[in-house]
Amino acid sequence: MTYFLQLVISGIVVGSIYALSALGFVLVYKSSRVLNIAHGQIIAGGAFIVYALTVFAGLPIYISFVASMVITFFLAMSVERIFLRRLIGEPIISVIMVTIGLMSILNGVIYLTPFGSLNYSFPEFLPTTPISLGGVSISWTQMVGVVITALLIGAFSWFFKRSTIGISMRAVSDDQFAAMSVGISVPRVFGLAWAMAGLSAAAAGTIIGNITGLNFETLGAFGITVFPVVILGGLDSIIGAVVAGIIMGLIQQFAAGYLDGNWGLNGTADVLPYIILLVILLFKPHGLFGTHEIERV
Amino acid sequence: MSANRFFATGNFFTDYRQEQRIFRTHLDRGLFVVFLACLFAWPLFFDASNRTMLVINNILIAVVAVYGLNLVTGFAGLISIGHAAFVGVGAYTVAGLARAIGASHPLIVHWWPLMILAAGGMGAVFGAFVGLPAMRLKHLYLAIATLSFQMIFTWTIQFMPTFNQGQMIPVGRVAWIGGTVGRKDHYFFWYYVILVVAVVCGLAVRNLLRSRYGRCLVAVRDNDRAADAMGMHPGLTKVYAFTLAGFFAGVAGALHTYMFRGAGFESFTLHHSITYLAMAIVGGLGTLPGSLLGPAAIYTLELEMERLSEWSGAFLPDSLNLATALRPLGFGLVIVLFLMFEPRGMANWWRICRSYVKLWPFRY
Amino acid sequence: MKRNMYYLAIVMAVAAGLAFSAPVGAGETYQLGLSLAITGPTSDAGNPYSKGVEDYMRFANDTKILGDAKIDCPIRDDMYKTAVTKRNFEDFLDQGMIFFLSYATGANQALAPDFTEVQIPVVPASMDSSLMKASPYIFLPIASYSHQYVGVAEYVAANHKGEGAAKVAAFIHPSAFGRAPLADFKAAVAAGLNLELVEVVEHGKDLDNSALLQRLASKGVQYVLCHTVQSPVATLLNDAQRLGMTAKTFGEPGKITFMGAHYTGGNDLIALAGTAAEGFHWTTSYRVTSEKGPWTDWQLDMAKKYGRDDKTANSHNYASGMMAAQIAVEAIRRTREAGKKVTKETLYETLNQMNGDKAFTSLAAVGPVTYSVTDRMGVDNVQLYVVKDGVFRAVGEPFKPKYMK
Repeated sequence: MTYFLQLVISGIVVGSIYALSALGFVLVYKSSRVLNIAHGQIIAGGAFIVYALTVFAGLPIYISFVASMVITFFLAMSVERIFLRRLIGEPIISVIMVTIGLMSILNGVIYLTPFGSLNYSFPEFLPTTPISLGGVSISWTQMVGVVITALLIGAFSWFFKRSTIGISMRAVSDDQFAAMSVGISVPRVFGLAWAMAGLSAAAAGTIIGNITGLNFETLGAFGITVFPVVILGGLDSIIGAVVAGIIMGLIQQFAAGYLDGNWGLNGTADVLPYIILLVILLFKPHGLFGTHEIERV
Repeated sequence: MSANRFFATGNFFTDYRQEQRIFRTHLDRGLFVVFLACLFAWPLFFDASNRTMLVINNILIAVVAVYGLNLVTGFAGLISIGHAAFVGVGAYTVAGLARAIGASHPLIVHWWPLMILAAGGMGAVFGAFVGLPAMRLKHLYLAIATLSFQMIFTWTIQFMPTFNQGQMIPVGRVAWIGGTVGRKDHYFFWYYVILVVAVVCGLAVRNLLRSRYGRCLVAVRDNDRAADAMGMHPGLTKVYAFTLAGFFAGVAGALHTYMFRGAGFESFTLHHSITYLAMAIVGGLGTLPGSLLGPAAIYTLELEMERLSEWSGAFLPDSLNLATALRPLGFGLVIVLFLMFEPRGMANWWRICRSYVKLWPFRY
Repeated sequence: MKRNMYYLAIVMAVAAGLAFSAPVGAGETYQLGLSLAITGPTSDAGNPYSKGVEDYMRFANDTKILGDAKIDCPIRDDMYKTAVTKRNFEDFLDQGMIFFLSYATGANQALAPDFTEVQIPVVPASMDSSLMKASPYIFLPIASYSHQYVGVAEYVAANHKGEGAAKVAAFIHPSAFGRAPLADFKAAVAAGLNLELVEVVEHGKDLDNSALLQRLASKGVQYVLCHTVQSPVATLLNDAQRLGMTAKTFGEPGKITFMGAHYTGGNDLIALAGTAAEGFHWTTSYRVTSEKGPWTDWQLDMAKKYGRDDKTANSHNYASGMMAAQIAVEAIRRTREAGKKVTKETLYETLNQMNGDKAFTSLAAVGPVTYSVTDRMGVDNVQLYVVKDGVFRAVGEPFKPKYMK
C-alpha cells in the first residue's frame, strides 16, 4: 500500500513538472498556433542562466532564479520578434520548421558556453532530508517544484481569466481577424505569449536541473519528452496541461513500478505514454481539453 | 503565339490533356533528358572518391524517402514526424530477414531487387496502419500520432532480440552479373541502383499527380470537407497517402540497409524524422522538384558547415568552443533565414526561374 | 562597388595566405583520423575525448616523438550519427588514413565489416566486448564494459558481510550499450560468483526513482550495479540520498550501496549528483586526477599547456582520448623503429605484437596495454574507486577480474 501511495505521490510530483514544461508549448500554441520545437532548448537555457548567475556571478540562487525568468522572458520575446514576426500568415508547417531551425541555433549558442559539453549541478540550497509522511517521501526540491508549478499555473489562469491583456490574448487565439478589428495588436500578443512561455521554461528548467543535474542532452530532450502531455491535454488548454501532466506522471510511475521487471518488460515508462496517448486520441481527437475546431467548407 | 512550342512565351494550352502532360513543354522534356543523361554518365568520366559517392548516394536515398514525405505532408497536408520510422521499417525488413536466415542467404544477396520491393510493401503496410488515426485526427494531433509511432518503433527495435536490440545487423554484399559487388565498386554500383529507383519513383509520383488519385490528395489537403462533398472519401485518401509514404520510405530504408551493409537503430531516430521534414520544407512542400532540391540542399549545407567549422578551428582559440558551435549555429541560421525570406522553399526559386524563362522577354 | 572589390581581393589574399602558410615538406606525414560525437548525444564524454586526442597529437608533433615525421589527425564531429561516421571514415581513407580512432558502439559495429576489408587498425572509445568479435581490426584500449562490471561485482562478492549471497540489482541503460555486460555478468554468477541478481532495471527518462528504490529495498537489494551514463545515475543517487537509503560505508546493512562501470562515473557524476555521489563505487582502467601520481601531474600539465579548462583537464575522458592517441603514436613509433614502412598492415602487425616484454605501458591506465592475435583488449586490469569528500579515491590495488577470461 505504501508502495502504491509512493507511486501516486511521485507520479503527481513528476506530473506537475511535466505540466510546467508543457505550459510553454500551450501558451505559444494558444495564441499563435505555433508548435515550438525549440522549447527544450529554452528550458535548458533557463537552467544554465540560473547556474551561471549563481555560481559564476555569485548571486543568491533565489535572485538568480527570478533574474533568469526575466532574462528568458525577454529572450523568448526577442526570438519571436526577430524570427517569427515575419512569418505571421505563412503556412503553419514553415513556421514549425523555423522553430526546428531555431533549435539548431540555440544548440549552437549553448555549445558556445561551457554548458554545451560539461556537466554541473546546482549548489544545494534546500535541506537534503526528505519530507516523510507514513512511509511516503518527497524531497524538498520536488516540493518546491510542485509549489512553483502551482503558483505559476494559478497566476497564468488568473491572468487569462481576469486581466485585460489576458482576455485580449484569448480573443486573438479565438479569432485573429475579429481581434484585430477591435483594436488588439496581434503581434504584441504573440510576443507576449512567447515571453511568458520563456518565463515558464526558465522555471521548469531550474526545477528539472535540480533533479537531474545540469546536462544539456537531458534538459534539451525534455521538450520532446513532454509532447505527449501537451497533446493529451489538448494543445491550447492550460488546465489540460496540468491534468495531462499528472496523468502522464502517474502512468510513467505505474509503468516503472508494476510493469518493468515483470514479464520480461523493461523501460516501458518511455513508451507507454505514447501508446496510451494514441488510444485516448482515438476517442478524443482534440485531446482531453482541447478546443474543438469547427470547420466549414 | 508562336507556332513552335520551343519558343512560346507563356502557356497556350487549349485543353486539359495538354495541361496534364508529364512534361509541359518540349524544353522541359529536353532539359530532363539531358539532366538524366548527365546523372547516368558523370561517374564514368570523373573518378569520384568513395566519400563523394557516399554523400551522393545518401542524398538520393533521402530523395526517395522525401518523395513519400512530400506526398503525405506536402500534397495531402498531413504532418508526419515519424518518417524515419517508416524508413526504419523498410531497413529492418531486410535486416531482420538477414538476421533470421543469414546475412549472405541467396534471398538477400541475389534477390535484392525483390527485397527492396518487399521492404517497400512492408513500409506501406505500416504506413496504412499508422495512417488509421488520420481518419479522426487532424493537424498537430495527427503529427503527434506519427511521433508516437516513431517512439514505439525505436523502443521495439531496442527491446526485441529479433532485431538484435538495436545493434547493427550486418547484411552481406549483393551479387550482380559478374559476381559479388566488392568494396571497390560498392558505392558506384549502388549509385546506379539508387539512381534508377529514384528516377522511377519520381516518374511514378509525377504520374500519380496527373491521375484522379493524386488530385484527390491535393483536394483533401485544401479542404477535406469540400472534397467529401465532391464525392471523395477523405479518410481513405489520408490512409492511402500514408500507405504511399510508407512505401517510398520502405524502399529508401532497404536501399539504406544495402548501401550501409546493415541496419542499426541510430539511423532511424526522431532526429532523422525531423531532418526529413526539414528537407521536404526547404525543398518546397507539395512540389516534385522540391523533393530533389531539399535533400541536396540540406546535405550540402551540412557539409559546408562542417568545412567551415574545420577551417575556422585552425585559427580560432582552443579555449572557445566556437568551431564546435559554428556548425549547429550556421545550419540553423541558414534554415531560419531561408524560411523567413522564402517560406515556400527552393522549389519556388525553380518556379520563378522557369516562369522567367518562359515569359521572356516579357516580365511582371 | 569598386572599393568593395578591393576589400574582397584583400580578404581572399589573406585567406589564401592562411591556407598555404602551413609548413610543407618536413619529413613524412602519417595520416590518422578521429570521428566522434562532439555535439549531440554523449557529447559530454566526446568533447573531452577529442581534446585529449588533439592535445596528445600536438604534443607528439611538438616534441618530435616520431623524429622528423609528423602526424596529421583531423577530428570530425559525427553527432553520434552512424551515417556521418561512415562518411568521415571514407573521407579519411581517401586522404590515405592508416590508423582510425573511432567512437560509438553503434558506429563501430556498422563499420566493422569495412574495417576488416580495408584492414585498418581501429581504436574505439567504446569498450563493448562485442566489438572485438565484430572485426579483428578493432583494438579496445582498456578493459571491456564486461570486465569493469564483473570487476565491481567481484568486489561486492568478496567484501559483502552478512549471511548468504549479496543481493544485487542491475540498473542499466535501455539499449544494447546498457545490456552489453549483462550476459557476462550472468555467466559469472552461474560460474560461482557468490551474488544473487534480484532484478534488472532498464531505466527511462525518470525524474523520480523513489518507487524503484523502495521496491529494491523491499526485496532486500543491498547493491545496485549501474551500467549507463552519468545523468540517470545522478538522479538515482539524488533520490536515494533524500530517501536516506544511501549506504554511508560499503555494504551498510539495510541501505543500498551504488556502484557502476566506466561511463557511470568520473568527475561528471560528481558534477551532476553533488554530495549524493558520496560512497559511489566505480571501476575503470584509467587513473583519475584526484589520485595524484606521475601521470595525473603530466595530464594536468598538458591541459594547462594547451589551455584547457579545469573540467576537461580533470576528466577521465580527456585521459581516455590521450591514451587512444598514445596507442596510435606508439604503434607508429615501433613500426618505424623496426625499420618497416608505416602502413595499415605493418601497424596492425605491430599492434598484434604488443605483448610480453613488448607490452606498452601507458601511465594513463592502471596496467600495461597488451594485444595479441587472440586478445585485442588492451589493459586487462581495472581499478576500483570510491567517492570520498567529493573526489574519487582508489580502493585497493588494480586487479584483473577472476571470472572473466
